[in-house]
Amino acid sequence: MAAVPSTVEASQEFLISELPEQSSLGQDAWRRLKRNRLAVVGLVIIAIFFVTALISIVWTPYPTWRQALGTTYAGPSLLHPLGLDDYGRDILSRVMGGAAIALGVGVGASFLASLTGIILGMLAGFFKGKVDALISLTINIFYGVPDLLVALILVVLIGRGLFNIILAIALTGWLGMARLVRGQTLSIREREYVEAARTIGTPNLMILSRHILPNALGPIIVQATYLVPAAIIFEAFLSLLGLGIPPPSPSWGRMASEGYKALQIAPHIVLAPCAALSLTVLAFNWLGDGLRDAIDPRMRR
Amino acid sequence: MSRGTLVYAAQRLVLITVTAVVVSSIVFIGIHQLPGNALASERRNNPATEAALLHHYNLDLPWPQQYVLWVQGLAHGDMGESLVNMGVQITPLLLREARVSVTLGLAAVLITIGVGLTLGTIAANTWVDYVASTSAVVGYSVPSFVWAFLLILLTVSGFYAWTGGLVYENIGWGKIEQIPVPALALGLPYAAIVARLTRASMLEVIRQDYVRTAWAKGLKARVVILRHSLRNALIPVISILGPLVTGIITGSVVIEYIFGIPGLGQEFVSSILSRDYNIVIGVFTFYAVLIGLANLAVDLIYPVLDPRIRY
Repeated sequence: MAAVPSTVEASQEFLISELPEQSSLGQDAWRRLKRNRLAVVGLVIIAIFFVTALISIVWTPYPTWRQALGTTYAGPSLLHPLGLDDYGRDILSRVMGGAAIALGVGVGASFLASLTGIILGMLAGFFKGKVDALISLTINIFYGVPDLLVALILVVLIGRGLFNIILAIALTGWLGMARLVRGQTLSIREREYVEAARTIGTPNLMILSRHILPNALGPIIVQATYLVPAAIIFEAFLSLLGLGIPPPSPSWGRMASEGYKALQIAPHIVLAPCAALSLTVLAFNWLGDGLRDAIDPRMRR
Repeated sequence: MSRGTLVYAAQRLVLITVTAVVVSSIVFIGIHQLPGNALASERRNNPATEAALLHHYNLDLPWPQQYVLWVQGLAHGDMGESLVNMGVQITPLLLREARVSVTLGLAAVLITIGVGLTLGTIAANTWVDYVASTSAVVGYSVPSFVWAFLLILLTVSGFYAWTGGLVYENIGWGKIEQIPVPALALGLPYAAIVARLTRASMLEVIRQDYVRTAWAKGLKARVVILRHSLRNALIPVISILGPLVTGIITGSVVIEYIFGIPGLGQEFVSSILSRDYNIVIGVFTFYAVLIGLANLAVDLIYPVLDPRIRY
């Protein structure tokens, strides 16, 4: 996390005798995070899904698109642990493939939205005035618009590929991050160390990247973590409505919407992807809560 | 209502109007850059008919001119005519559907607040705390459509089988008994969030001196919890009502689709799929206004609960 500035090394010699143990803010937070049982469980679940997603890229028990592997709507069996869907496709293979899509979209959209939000938020908070007015007005206008509808229209406008879906979700997700970063920047830019940096003539870009960004990083990491499950749910919404990544890609939302027609006779088709989706989202929320408590212990509730 | 409140409300109404116009204009312009339109189909119309149709919808004009005509219509409350079902006026259609969506949304908000406040209050004051606070995150991690599937399995298949066919939940819309299941599915994730917030702020409030005084005076538990603690614990909870209403409106798109409820959300999805762009723009404008009004209502409730807040 936050790198230790090189000047610390020089001063360490005399500090070591006074302080028995030193640790950076990042190490401190990491230690607190490891003590949080739910956060660790979340982290483990996320790791399992990540590994599953990586494996699914090279290998799944059956190809995710292969139809008529057995009786359609067949329930769980030894050959097909999660059963078969309405086309006779192996649901376990498809849930595995869905993990790659969900995590790809979740992490990708969170990253893109965070990047946009951080840049625009820092610009608004640091330069204030007209820049801030313009960015804040944009945020306020789009805050009052249901993001799902914006994403749906964007998908129609730019197409339904994996990257386009990520783009559509990111374009609606940066507002919250920009608000957060703007607020952080507004308060950090008034601190003494920023004033000191400005006095010795540090260029604005350097102040933003070396002083403001590292000090706002904690809340940013927490917010970015919460953005991942939000994006995953969003992708599921889009797929459910038939406007996600086109078939036969095994998106969890699409699997649920295809299986919904047969919910009463073969609930396993819907329940498998829904369980995977809920578990992933839950894991990220646990991790987010843990990170929030670890990074800012005063926030603990 | 003080004068300041009125001025504030007026400012907000202006912002809502600006939002609606800006957003619908962006959508209008964006959509008119798309190739093809709802009239283009594999079935060949004869050129005269096609020209007449294009003229009927002003589609033969350059788009800036179409835009001006559209804004003029909007100012008169006229959102034009459906491109797919010719002759269907959009404004009355959407008004009718908005009534359905608002009914569903209000029911969901009531469930959210009722369930959330009850669970949160119980969690903060009794031993169920640990269970309730860990299960709240489970509650809002399960998306509304997953709740919908579970509730459908429970009510449609479950109740039917267990009662030997006596109870049958008919998925759809039009009867009062068809409201609770979709409203519950829509409200549950947010109820979990409200419960968590209520618990947190309740835990802070019950440590205050005036609550200890109330207990010391020998007031009944009901009075202390409801009148002294809950009312003050509500204030932070109100602050998330705005995002919550937005979330419920968004979620209703999916819930209406699953339950086949003839509301704005379903109209939006079907009109996007059938490229009925006039309706897409209309629904979008409707939603922007609905969300704006809902947020305004939330802001106006603030000073009622907390007299320290003034506009």
